Amino acid sequence: MARIELKDVVKCYGTVEVLRDINLDIKDGEFIVLVGPSGCGKSTLLRMIAGLEPISQGDFLIGGERMNDVRPRDRDIAMVFQSYALYPHMDVARNMGFSMEIRKDPANERMSRVKQAADTLGLTALTERLPKALSGGQRQRVAMGRAIIRDPRAFLFDEPLSNLDASLRVEMRLEIARLHQKLGATMIYVTHDQVEALTLADRIVVLNGGDIQQVGSPLELYERPANKFVAQFIGSPTMNVVSVTGGKNKVTTADGVAIALPHLKGTERAVEMGIRPEHIDVVDVNAGHLIGIADVVEHLGSDTNIYVDVEGLGPILVRKHGNIPAKTGDRLGLRIQSENAHAFAADGVALRQTNTNEA
Amino acid sequence: MTDRTSKSILPGGTRARRSLYWQYLVEPYLYLSPAIFLIGIVMMIPLIIGISYSFQSIELLKPFDTGWVGLENYQKLWSDRKFWLALENTFWWTFWSISFQFLLGLGLAMLLTTQFYGKKLFQALVFLPWAVPTFLSALTWAWLFNPVIGPLPHWMASLGILSEPYNIMGDPNLAMWGPIVANIWFGVPFFAITLLAALQSIPNDMYEAAEIDGASAWQVFTKITLPFLAPMIAITVMLRTIWIANFADLIYVMTGGGPANSTQIVSSYIFTTAFRKLDFGYASAIAVALLFILLTYAVFLLWLRKKLVKT
Repeated sequence: MARIELKDVVKCYGTVEVLRDINLDIKDGEFIVLVGPSGCGKSTLLRMIAGLEPISQGDFLIGGERMNDVRPRDRDIAMVFQSYALYPHMDVARNMGFSMEIRKDPANERMSRVKQAADTLGLTALTERLPKALSGGQRQRVAMGRAIIRDPRAFLFDEPLSNLDASLRVEMRLEIARLHQKLGATMIYVTHDQVEALTLADRIVVLNGGDIQQVGSPLELYERPANKFVAQFIGSPTMNVVSVTGGKNKVTTADGVAIALPHLKGTERAVEMGIRPEHIDVVDVNAGHLIGIADVVEHLGSDTNIYVDVEGLGPILVRKHGNIPAKTGDRLGLRIQSENAHAFAADGVALRQTNTNEA
Repeated sequence: MTDRTSKSILPGGTRARRSLYWQYLVEPYLYLSPAIFLIGIVMMIPLIIGISYSFQSIELLKPFDTGWVGLENYQKLWSDRKFWLALENTFWWTFWSISFQFLLGLGLAMLLTTQFYGKKLFQALVFLPWAVPTFLSALTWAWLFNPVIGPLPHWMASLGILSEPYNIMGDPNLAMWGPIVANIWFGVPFFAITLLAALQSIPNDMYEAAEIDGASAWQVFTKITLPFLAPMIAITVMLRTIWIANFADLIYVMTGGGPANSTQIVSSYIFTTAFRKLDFGYASAIAVALLFILLTYAVFLLWLRKKLVKT
């Protein structure tokens, strides 16, 4: 367990910069999730931390020691691969104990550690099987067992759940959360699934196009996204964004509706307004800000999603808890909870909120 | 009553039986018949004729003395010193050829998985010896070993391997090394290419996981690479062993089995017996003996492979 620091880290392939100015300070025992769309560089960053990719520029430290040129095996980190990377010719016990076998640790100590890890992960009955005789979830567990047996300074996970089906993914997600609580180890987890990110992370790092967009707790990212990208990437369903004209403490939509946004600074610069589907109320026609026609209504039981076609603004998604008796073709009034609205300047940066204590 | 029931069941029964008979006993063989026919024509019939020759006396120089002789050819074989010498030579010829071909091929394959400048060209060059006709490479190597026109004896003398630059193929103790060296040169590409393909099929994840687990380069090689290659190694070594044991072209061109039969292997001995001495009966007996030795070897290696793959 250790603190991990990245200072001005850059990764280039030839002349192409795939990661720029990465600055991260990961505290001891923290669960950090790197999230972003495909090709944003999140896996590359993880592989650089593991030592599988060289770092082009900047400093990388584990526990205060510079690790840039240290070989993976001397970094004392464990990694769970997306493909699990189990050795197909070794049984489960040998797979898990491989790092100790390599170090030539005494066999009885190795056996007891393997047994302990197998017990923790519910693999006791399977230790003599080969990986090909295991299900996806069991392989995933073996891969985690191989990591925990070493008691490393940090755990790295590279999209570990993406090869599992939906229900197993939820189960393994819980298991990883439990494992983190139990071991209290530093964990860095890469995923493109924002639900995994929001449920597991102490802090989330949102990456896009090789830049860190924002670092923060799940709630911070949800409530105070730093820019339009984070606002649309975090939260499901996606935030609605409409074009507006900025004004003093208000914005005006294309069809001339003014929405007061007193909680935001510098609304004069706003060109777009963002509002999450759950922050729009369905009201009587004329009682709200906007009027539209329900295009598609999805009844999910716990929630209702209504895609409302608002003239001049395009489709707006509204999500309400419980069952709303709306149906396709209904004329609805929409009231925007303006205290939860976000506004973005021309460069996509979110306007700061007046009630936050940011400098 | 019972009669009627049996009568009413019988027609249906026979029809079912007839269709089963058709389905399981005739139909599959109809589909297989072209293959069976071809294999029969090109393999089984010559094999049976060959084996039957080994129990006959067929010497073209004694055309009136042909006929069945029972095990006479095999008795002659048992006491034939030249045969046992050829068998021993076959063993060393195959053993040294295959060992060097395999080790050099594996090294070359490992080299070709790394990145370096001019890799594509190098890869093409590696395959070249395989494309040269055997006859041509045998002649070239024979010349290379000739002290009058070839450089090799002079180099070996300078390195202190030879006391003076003479032709090693004239020395009964060393002659076998001439064809062996030519064969190594000729056979390395086969191992390099097949093992390269096998190496490239090992997922990169395995190496990365092993690296993070702390394995050294040697441990990665012995604990990851070799187990992955084992099935491929077993099959290629078996194939090549059989080919090389039968492969007399190089020897025939370079030394002709001499001097004093010191480079005579079983298959070149079969060739000389059949086409120089024109004794087909005896040549067939030697061929059958070689067939059994190689069959035993193949069965052993397949068993070994099965065992390796299982664990």
